[in-house]
Amino acid sequence: MRPFTYRYPRDQREALTAAAAEAGAKYLGGGTNLLDLMKEDVERPTMLIEVADLPHQQVTRNADGGFTIGAMLSNSATANYPEIRTNYPLLSMTMLAAATAQIRNMATNGGNLLQRTRCPYFYETSMPCNKRAPGSGCGALNGMNDNHAVFGWSEACVATYPGDMAVALTALGASVTVQGLDGTARTLPISDFYRLPGDEPERDNTLQPGELITALTLPAPAFPAHYYYLKIRERSSYAYALVSVAAGLQLDNGTISQVGLAMGGVAHKPWRLTEAEAFLTGKAPSEENFAEAGVIAMREARPLEHNEYKLPMGEKAVARALVQAYARN
Amino acid sequence: MKKLIAGTGDAISRVEGPLKVTGMAKYASEFPVENKVYGQGINSTIARGRITAIDTAEALRQPGVLEVITYQNAEQLGGYDEEMPAIATDTPMPALQGPEVHYYGEYVGLVVAETLEQAQYACRLVKVDYAAEEPNVGFEGARDSAYKPSERSDYSRGDLAAGLAEADEQLDLTYITPIEHHHPMELHAVIATYENGKIDAYASQQMVENSVKTLAKTFQIPESDIRVRAPFVGGGFGSKLNTERHVIMAIMAAKMIGRPVQVTVTRTQMFTNTGLRQRNEQRMRLGAKKDGTLTALGHDTLSHTSTYEQYQEQCGTVSKMLYATPNNQITHRLMPLNLQTPFAMRAPGEATGSFALESALDELAWKLQLDPIDLRIKNDTQVDPSNGKPFSSRPFVECLRIGAEQFGWADRPLRPGSRREGNWLVGYGVSGASRASPYQESSARVELSLDGGEVYAKVQTGATDIGTGTYTILAQTAAEYLGIPVERITVELGDTKFPDSPGSGGSWGAASFSNGVRVACQNLLDELRQRAGKEGQDVSVETLLLDNELATFAAEGTASRSEEAQDYSIYSFGANFAEVWVDKDTGMYRIKRMLNVGAAGKILNPKTAYGQIIGGLTMGAGMVIAEQTKVEPNFGNFITRSFADYHVPVNLDLAEIDVIFLPEEDKIANAMGIKGIGELGITSVAASIANALFNATGKRFRELPVTPERVLTTEVEAGVLQSR
Ligand SMILES: Cc1cc2nc3c(=O)[nH]c(=O)nc-3n(C[C@H](O)[C@H](O)[C@H](O)COP(=O)(O)OP(=O)(O)OC[C@H]3O[C@@H](n4cnc5c(N)ncnc54)[C@H](O)[C@@H]3O)c2cc1C
Ligand code: SF4
Repeated sequence: MRPFTYRYPRDQREALTAAAAEAGAKYLGGGTNLLDLMKEDVERPTMLIEVADLPHQQVTRNADGGFTIGAMLSNSATANYPEIRTNYPLLSMTMLAAATAQIRNMATNGGNLLQRTRCPYFYETSMPCNKRAPGSGCGALNGMNDNHAVFGWSEACVATYPGDMAVALTALGASVTVQGLDGTARTLPISDFYRLPGDEPERDNTLQPGELITALTLPAPAFPAHYYYLKIRERSSYAYALVSVAAGLQLDNGTISQVGLAMGGVAHKPWRLTEAEAFLTGKAPSEENFAEAGVIAMREARPLEHNEYKLPMGEKAVARALVQAYARN
Repeated sequence: MKKLIAGTGDAISRVEGPLKVTGMAKYASEFPVENKVYGQGINSTIARGRITAIDTAEALRQPGVLEVITYQNAEQLGGYDEEMPAIATDTPMPALQGPEVHYYGEYVGLVVAETLEQAQYACRLVKVDYAAEEPNVGFEGARDSAYKPSERSDYSRGDLAAGLAEADEQLDLTYITPIEHHHPMELHAVIATYENGKIDAYASQQMVENSVKTLAKTFQIPESDIRVRAPFVGGGFGSKLNTERHVIMAIMAAKMIGRPVQVTVTRTQMFTNTGLRQRNEQRMRLGAKKDGTLTALGHDTLSHTSTYEQYQEQCGTVSKMLYATPNNQITHRLMPLNLQTPFAMRAPGEATGSFALESALDELAWKLQLDPIDLRIKNDTQVDPSNGKPFSSRPFVECLRIGAEQFGWADRPLRPGSRREGNWLVGYGVSGASRASPYQESSARVELSLDGGEVYAKVQTGATDIGTGTYTILAQTAAEYLGIPVERITVELGDTKFPDSPGSGGSWGAASFSNGVRVACQNLLDELRQRAGKEGQDVSVETLLLDNELATFAAEGTASRSEEAQDYSIYSFGANFAEVWVDKDTGMYRIKRMLNVGAAGKILNPKTAYGQIIGGLTMGAGMVIAEQTKVEPNFGNFITRSFADYHVPVNLDLAEIDVIFLPEEDKIANAMGIKGIGELGITSVAASIANALFNATGKRFRELPVTPERVLTTEVEAGVLQSR
């Protein structure tokens, strides 16, 4: 690890001020991703500003019936929070499918949103990687890309966003609140928080330098009865998804009145399946319709040399997640 | 009153357990050696070429940095005595001797600093320039370079072609196993002291005596000037059999700096610098009569070694001897690639070879429409067909039969893909296993002391405990032969100052060490009886010490394999059963149940033995589920570089596990009737699971690991009628 200075701000303002003063500063949440990347020499912050203990640790109910979750609350505490479990079981289920209990205990919600890709070229500093070293090329484009994107990639970067939580947040239509250096806060839908790589793959998201994530906001409770997070992976825990699907259904008199559907492991951001959602809305919750939704979901996919398997896997995963969501009660 | 002794065969808890759980058991990097400094290896970032320049200036300027060692200032070491030497556990291990780079991650330097953090940081600041060449890291393009590594590489009896010609049914299929890594929990580590021309090293090694040999050849000093200690080793799986280059670099640094140097290999370096199990392509040719009688068995293995050393895994070992077939042909070929030298990993040859053999037999059984168990029983033999010697004991058929009974084999789905449970397809699989039970001469010293009217004993041997339970079984052995309770016995291991022992490897440990201790105890008792004039009498050690007016007494003993053993083939045998549930759509599957039946001689301690087998089953399951090291085809590096990418099984992946040991004492193998179990436990596990996957789905998985991707993209075998 390279030498760095360490700050423990007493409040949010001190954190923001410290970040404003040092271009190489980074916020430190649970450190489960950042410290790993520092040991690998991928991240080289000159200052760490510990934010995990800042008082954004609550879960509060909003006037519209939705909830706001503090960004510094741990993944474990969030997933097991009684009102999250009952109102947003899709989110709980998804978060508990991530990493390991130990990592979830350390990880903060803010840090979780910002976890970086698992692309092996990104991790190995002697390899070309536009995300880590802009302009050096994309090693994965014509290399080992079996776990890379099938949607929304560019020649500059074919990496996926690896996390689980944000997939459920996408299906639920959540938004992210960030605090700027000048003291102003902004709230943006999660789909605008993440971005596609385009020709700036070094930017995972639309966060501006020094901005601090303070909260996640969920709209009024959705899918308390019919929900499922399907995560296909190489082993039963402690592995990232090859493909994952967060599915939520609202049923009214035997037809589907509302659908939330998003995929992980397929793009540079959690991939919302808007067309499949539209297809299912107003339809009967039948196996045929769920299977068709799977086909629609993958219609626009563009596989790379080694990840064509994600197409059938994605199709089946969408259909299965919907079947499971429907069957659940 | 008769005391509770707890001899061999009793399921006692580990005698060293409390030391381990309280952190008192010291592993190599934990010794508080005074004045020690830290070394950190620098790894090459090309897979083939030469170093053209090294700039150490900035690294050397950092606080705490004491030295940067590269080939430019490294001492000249003793080298190999031939080109492409076949490496063993005692060969020299020269490091940092020249500018050539043979593989990605090879050590090109060592930074030594006051703290580990300083050393690690300074490594980033050493600038190494290379003239890179295109590496050879894949099989394609290298096939022409395949060569026969030694006379031992090939074996044949009868006439394979003739055997195939007379078969009613035959198959010719290729099975692939990927590069795997040992990854014991404890990182490789050493703390080396060099004083007055003598080396003293705490090192995480499986064989301390052979470490001394390697160091003597490498540093060209007498063996008597070298001491290696490894009282506790946190697993090895073969990777700690030989003395790897971090040990050499640490000693080199200790010489240069005049202070003890600690080098702990990082987890990422455990991929590049401490051996690996190579990728194997195994072509199986089987021929059989309608009734299952094998008429021919051919097993050709193609794998790789490095460009500077040779290591060959004998994948064909099991295919020579497990089944009676008159026509048998085994070959092994190697291609030199720009990857590090492979080295023995748990059941080298058997773990991988049995995947090919036991999968192929399952395919043959399917073709012949025979029960795979019947096919194996049909070809059972009590004589080793590879050398004509009788097996000392071979209850292989019993393993299969008892396992079938216990597992409920009769209930298996007869047609692949025919059993559904909701979204799951259910399948059963079986495989047979055998593993040689080698034996190595081993010595021990036993010292008695009388204290407060009670006799205590101390047992010392150069043997190691790599987490397997050596401390415990040796305490049990001494308790039994001395007739004193296990609590009064102290065992000391892993020091070259103790009587010679081969150390842990090849599943010879339990048999060899225990017999060594047995002979030491018997010698001690004989001497005491003789002195007391009580030859042949059954008297307690306490009485003998008192009779001789002795407060302490010690003796040594050595046990070799008997003459009789030479006339037999000595193996452990087993059978594995697995039940898998495969999701009908998504590529996911679960192993629901595993059963291992083993006939492995006398089980010294059912508890530690059980640990060995479930460890083997877990590793075998890992071979199927996910374990593989992936090589980047353009750059030649491993893209699996941590436990986040190299997937070993987690608890949730593992099934309900049952282990049965058949009661056995093989007195031909050795006087105590012990055989090896550590490697038997992994052998053929992968095949039992792959066979179960076929039974569930009708798909054959001839390449490991069986990832969700492979489940999804593999076609159902022709001829398997799906009943979905
Ligand atoms: C072995 C392993 C397996 C894993 N498996 C999974 C998995 O299966 N699924 C999954 O989803 N995740 C997985 N993870 C990732 C894990 O979820 C993340 O590492 C974790 O959520 C990150 O949270 P953190 O608080 O530790 O972030 P940190 O490591 O502290 O920070 C991550 C990034 O966020 C920034 N940051 C932190 N907090 C804030 C804030 N409030 N405002 C602005 N910036 C901030 C940091 O500067 C840093 O850039 C795994 C991790 C490991 C190590
Ligand atoms: S896919 Fe993106 S992260 Fe991976 S090598 Fe290419 S640029 Fe880097």
